[in-house]
Amino acid sequence: MANSVEEIQKSKKTYMIVFGGLLIGTIVTVLVATVEALDIGIHGFDKWDAILGLIIATAKATAVGLIFMHLNHEKKAIYWIFISALVLCAAMFALLFLAKYSPIWDNYFYR
Amino acid sequence: MEIPYIVNARKDTGLFNSKIAIWLFLASEVMLFGGFFSAYIFLRLGADYPWPERTLPVLPGLINTFVLIGSSVTVVFAWAALKLHNWRQFQVYMGITIFCALLFMVLKAVEYNVKLHHQAVRLSDYSIIEGHLGYDKVEGKKIEKNRINLQLEQEATITYNVLRFHPAWVEQVLEEAKKAGVSIKLAADLKGEEKLSDEGKDYFKKDEPLTVELLNKVKDAHLAARSNNAVIKTEALREAWKVAKKAHPDQSDWEYSDNVSIDTEAIKPKLLTEFPSVSFSIDKSLALSFKPRDVKEGPTQSKLRDDTVINGKLVASPMVFENLDAIDFQYLVMKAEAKGIKPEVAIENSWLMQNSGFVREAWAWHEKEVEKLRLRLIKDYKRDENGKPNREPTHKEMYRMGWKDLKKYAEDTKDIKLSGVDKIKEEFMGPNYHARGQETFPSFEVPREQVGFAAKFTPAWNTYYAIYFTITGLHGLHVVGGAIVLAYYLFFGRKMYDENPEWLANRVEVGGLFWHFVDLVWIFVFPILYLM
Repeated sequence: MANSVEEIQKSKKTYMIVFGGLLIGTIVTVLVATVEALDIGIHGFDKWDAILGLIIATAKATAVGLIFMHLNHEKKAIYWIFISALVLCAAMFALLFLAKYSPIWDNYFYR
Repeated sequence: MEIPYIVNARKDTGLFNSKIAIWLFLASEVMLFGGFFSAYIFLRLGADYPWPERTLPVLPGLINTFVLIGSSVTVVFAWAALKLHNWRQFQVYMGITIFCALLFMVLKAVEYNVKLHHQAVRLSDYSIIEGHLGYDKVEGKKIEKNRINLQLEQEATITYNVLRFHPAWVEQVLEEAKKAGVSIKLAADLKGEEKLSDEGKDYFKKDEPLTVELLNKVKDAHLAARSNNAVIKTEALREAWKVAKKAHPDQSDWEYSDNVSIDTEAIKPKLLTEFPSVSFSIDKSLALSFKPRDVKEGPTQSKLRDDTVINGKLVASPMVFENLDAIDFQYLVMKAEAKGIKPEVAIENSWLMQNSGFVREAWAWHEKEVEKLRLRLIKDYKRDENGKPNREPTHKEMYRMGWKDLKKYAEDTKDIKLSGVDKIKEEFMGPNYHARGQETFPSFEVPREQVGFAAKFTPAWNTYYAIYFTITGLHGLHVVGGAIVLAYYLFFGRKMYDENPEWLANRVEVGGLFWHFVDLVWIFVFPILYLM
């Protein structure tokens, strides 16, 4: 945790850099989704657009978590709480794989 | 009593109280939103209709992203200012944060408002049109031109379910009747009065005029009769069981239960007449109209949602679009392909193409545009070794004319141009019917029998809008909640700052953690709901 005056001044600079990074990430996401020349995969939305969009979003979320929420230098207890939440969340997403064995699976989506 | 660890950290965990509390809370929030996102994936993969891809306006969403990211930065700056004991700077940064929250909610409200006033209708053949309904102004009230109109001839009946009737709708019918000079009267005597008379119940005579009070009285009589009859029937059944038990002393209940029955003839004189429904007749012909959601219409008999049966003829009740702003054959094509019918054939034979000159002309233009796009994509991105183009127009591009396509169609063929301000406004508010007018977005009538399903762009329309409103609504509530807490620190924090600035700094840090989380959720919401 930044507590001295110098440290806080220094972390302010980091915040501005992260801010710039987040803006750029957002703009890239939008451009990839709207400008044809930057479109990856097939023309229009497909799984590659989804994957790229989610990678950028995850990178942005990680930056917010690490820098703005100070997760880059937190105490052990916080990590335990946060990581167990993520694990439970991932388990919830994993339940979706059950759907693969039921008729709701839509092949159309994975063209 | 002094509360420990509000400023200084506990030795073993290295944390102050509220820090550990907010992280526990955020952990639960991660799971809450995670659940909704997994629901989104589930709905999308399981959708049995063409999922509305990239359907929301990107510009307001993009601005909202910038606004939230910006506010995330200002909130850490506000915390840093407190750490440096600079109250003035704290005020400025926190002020900006709260302003950002307000701006976010205003843009969200605009977006919601557009959805809630935008009509969609799926025709019986699964083609979809969208647009803006027309209104009639009646006594200052706007009434949508989307009503079910019934014509009741003389002697037609209205039958109320005495338990379920909706008083407001009874009043509405009475008001219409009063305007038309029609009286609605009880169609026949309600018999059974002598038995009720000793309990002081009213005698319902033929020709008594319809009122809510009358229906309530009939309801009371019905309920009294019903409970009276229930007691008599139960007692008779009890007696019957006693008799049966005596007759079969060595058997178990279930062996002779088939032979146990009430002597209906014997108890008949004791039973009171029940009135589950009551019919009224009219003395002159009467026209009534209802909201489509309130009535299940039929050619000669319609039923309201409160089980009121109206024996009236259904007259022309078209859904009147003041402005049509999208023609969508995606669903129709999906259904056709499932049956092995060629999309072009299905579209050609759709009701819209057969009955609307505008749709035919616009669609012919659209097909040419798709062809142009197809050729351009081949030219720009070539074909693969098998001669198959690397890139082809999407389903949406081929089978949907959204408002931007209709706009382009009108600009190409009718030479309509708009000023810059009106154009920017369109990016936020959707099609500008006022500036572009009937040339671009013509009026359109859908006959009632063609309406398969109609709704505004609300959760009722499809699961996409259901999950969209759920996730963004929940996120919006978080923005409001966070802004209230941060505003409290800004406007009521001075006293605490003077007494114990470190404590306030810790509180702002915790409030800020929540605010970052709200930002973090939006970082996922924006690409998933707006761009995918």
